[in-house]
Amino acid sequence: MLPRLVVLLAAFLSRRLGSDAHGTELPSPPSVWFEAEFFHHILHWTPIPNQSESTCYEVALLRYGIGPWNSISNCSHALSYDLTAVTLDLYRSNGYRARVRAVDGSRHSNWTITNTRFSVDEVTLTVGSVKLEIHNGFILGKIQPPRPKMAPANDTYESIFSHFREYEIAIRKVPGNFTFTHKKVKHENFSLLTSGEVGEFCVQVKPSVTSRTNKGMWSKEECISLTRQYFTVTNVIIFFAFVLLLSGALAYCLALQLYVRRRKKLPRVLLFKKPNAFIFISQRPSPETQDTIHPLDEEAFLKVSPELRNSDLHGSTDSGFGSTKPSLQTEEPQFLLPDPHPQADRTLGNGEPPELGDSCSSGSSNSTDSGICLQEPSLSPSTGPTWEQQVGSDSRGQDDSGIGLVQNSEGQAGDTQGGSALGHDSPPEPEVPAEQDPTAVVFRGYLRQTRCAEEKATKTGCLEEELPLTGDLGPKFRGCLDDEAGLHPPALAKGYLKQDPLEMTLASSGAPTEQWNQPTEEWSLLALSNCSDLGTSDWSFAHDLAPLGCVAAPGGLLGSFNSDLVTLPLISSLHSSE
Amino acid sequence: MKLQCVSLWLLGTILMLCSVDNHGLRRCLISTDMDHIEESFQEIKRAIQAKDTFPNVTILSTLETLQIIKPLDVCCVTKNLLAFYVDRVFKDHQEPNPKILRKISSIANSFLYMQKTLRQCQEQRQCHCRQEATNVTRVIHDNYDQLEVHSAAVKSLGELDIFLAWIAKNHEVMSSA
Repeated sequence: MLPRLVVLLAAFLSRRLGSDAHGTELPSPPSVWFEAEFFHHILHWTPIPNQSESTCYEVALLRYGIGPWNSISNCSHALSYDLTAVTLDLYRSNGYRARVRAVDGSRHSNWTITNTRFSVDEVTLTVGSVKLEIHNGFILGKIQPPRPKMAPANDTYESIFSHFREYEIAIRKVPGNFTFTHKKVKHENFSLLTSGEVGEFCVQVKPSVTSRTNKGMWSKEECISLTRQYFTVTNVIIFFAFVLLLSGALAYCLALQLYVRRRKKLPRVLLFKKPNAFIFISQRPSPETQDTIHPLDEEAFLKVSPELRNSDLHGSTDSGFGSTKPSLQTEEPQFLLPDPHPQADRTLGNGEPPELGDSCSSGSSNSTDSGICLQEPSLSPSTGPTWEQQVGSDSRGQDDSGIGLVQNSEGQAGDTQGGSALGHDSPPEPEVPAEQDPTAVVFRGYLRQTRCAEEKATKTGCLEEELPLTGDLGPKFRGCLDDEAGLHPPALAKGYLKQDPLEMTLASSGAPTEQWNQPTEEWSLLALSNCSDLGTSDWSFAHDLAPLGCVAAPGGLLGSFNSDLVTLPLISSLHSSE
Repeated sequence: MKLQCVSLWLLGTILMLCSVDNHGLRRCLISTDMDHIEESFQEIKRAIQAKDTFPNVTILSTLETLQIIKPLDVCCVTKNLLAFYVDRVFKDHQEPNPKILRKISSIANSFLYMQKTLRQCQEQRQCHCRQEATNVTRVIHDNYDQLEVHSAAVKSLGELDIFLAWIAKNHEVMSSA
């Protein structure tokens, strides 16, 4: 019985003692330590084992070497406490000591003291912020030291750690996560050379003080993107300089070209008057002909019908430009070509079919020359070749008077007499052809006065016939000559065209060109021999032809050939000197 | 002319004295590698200071004793404190941990080297101890005597950082090469 009571008493007492010990004994926090940054001092502790909800912690602080412990917090449920406010002079004193104990109701544990004296050496160095900029291919960085709010105004990072501040910089390019480039700088401003690389760069900074053993903490990563700069100031300046240079060069070349190509003025001495085409032609010198002034034959003038005087033909004072006016066709011929052998001429003239038509009269507009009326060959027998005879008679060295006589009807024989008197020296002669040839040919425009003005019976006949050098065939020869003469003028005449009825017959044959060429050549030879070689016995006909009119104009034939008749005034052509 | 000569002579003398004075101190302690001592201390600081059970008592920082020392007394005080540590603290401390003992030994050797260089400077130049410097030295010794020897030694070893910080402050130019 007694042993049982002793056992129960012992159990009861042990339980009681245990509860007391448990109540009084409270485990103290295992460890207490400071985790401090620049003016950010936090006291940390580990919780007690088996802590209850009512367990709290008491914090006390002691300034090393001075005074009692100061209780900072009576009951803190957290496991850390900010002691910055009570440790502001940490950086100028020898340090602090702190202690913590658990409190649970009335019970409290033992104090747990920090192992080390909390001093400046235990502050972890940090960086406030890092700012990156790109400038001319460099990354410029600026490190901002920490600026805590609780720090006194005089206690700055730079003032406390005044010397030997250092920063370690870690750079990495974004694609590579583990490739860092480290660099140490001794100032808050630094620059990084990217060496032309483009992309995103991230930078981290860790501060340190070389004279201290303080640990440093890596800052937050700051990234910046680097793109290829094309529009840098340097590039823009160079570009504009090039543009200015190029434009200057172009302007210079343009100015030079304009100056070179400017309209230059010729010196006055080199200026020539633009010659009048008409005047130039009229002034064309005839190498062989000489300007001869033929006095007017007054008798010839007297025979001019009053109508004709007032006609336009009279009005034309020039050498016959004018005209193919139909009015002249009906008018009587102004001048008649003299016929030295009227009988022969008549025969010739009669025999020859009047092939001349009123081509000039009717449609003389076909004349392409200036004032020359080409009588189109026509088979109208009505128009007799009176003009032919007259022309033939007048062809003796008569130059082109410049008067165009248009073949007229037969009823104007009288008038033709006057017309034929042009260039004819012998006054009575015009009367003869006028009587013999009732039909007078009035030419319009310019008339070429052929030497052999005999009528050409047939051009073919003349062509076939050889040119005998006998006087018997004089008339014929003349006719042939006339024929040839008639043929020649149109080829050689440049201003005036001989209006020769024989010529027209030749034209009507159908092969004008060919036929004309032959007599032209022959006639040219004859003309040359006739006129230029007067007196020579080579050609008998030349001698015979001499009085016809060759003498009159020694160079007249050639002159007529060259058709410089344009220059000869009308007056000069009226009279042919003999 | 005479006035100018005299003024120039005075200026030159002053400059020479200043340079000699500063240069001497700087030159004396310039070769000491303070960083090595500080690093060694940091490794044993936690172990040493954990053994200090009297946080409200200090030996070196009583009434900011080291803070009020004038520059003229720096040489004397530095010499006295180096002797204090070498002659009393390192000898009184019994360290069971070999790693900590190695670090303490390296610190003690560095102090001995500093004493030797300072003794050479002292022979060449004047390193007189004034009364103020002597008073400061006596206070420190009194504080050390008030505690139990082992506790005092441990506390003094724990306050090495104060002594090293004071040396770096008063000899700033030479603290880190």
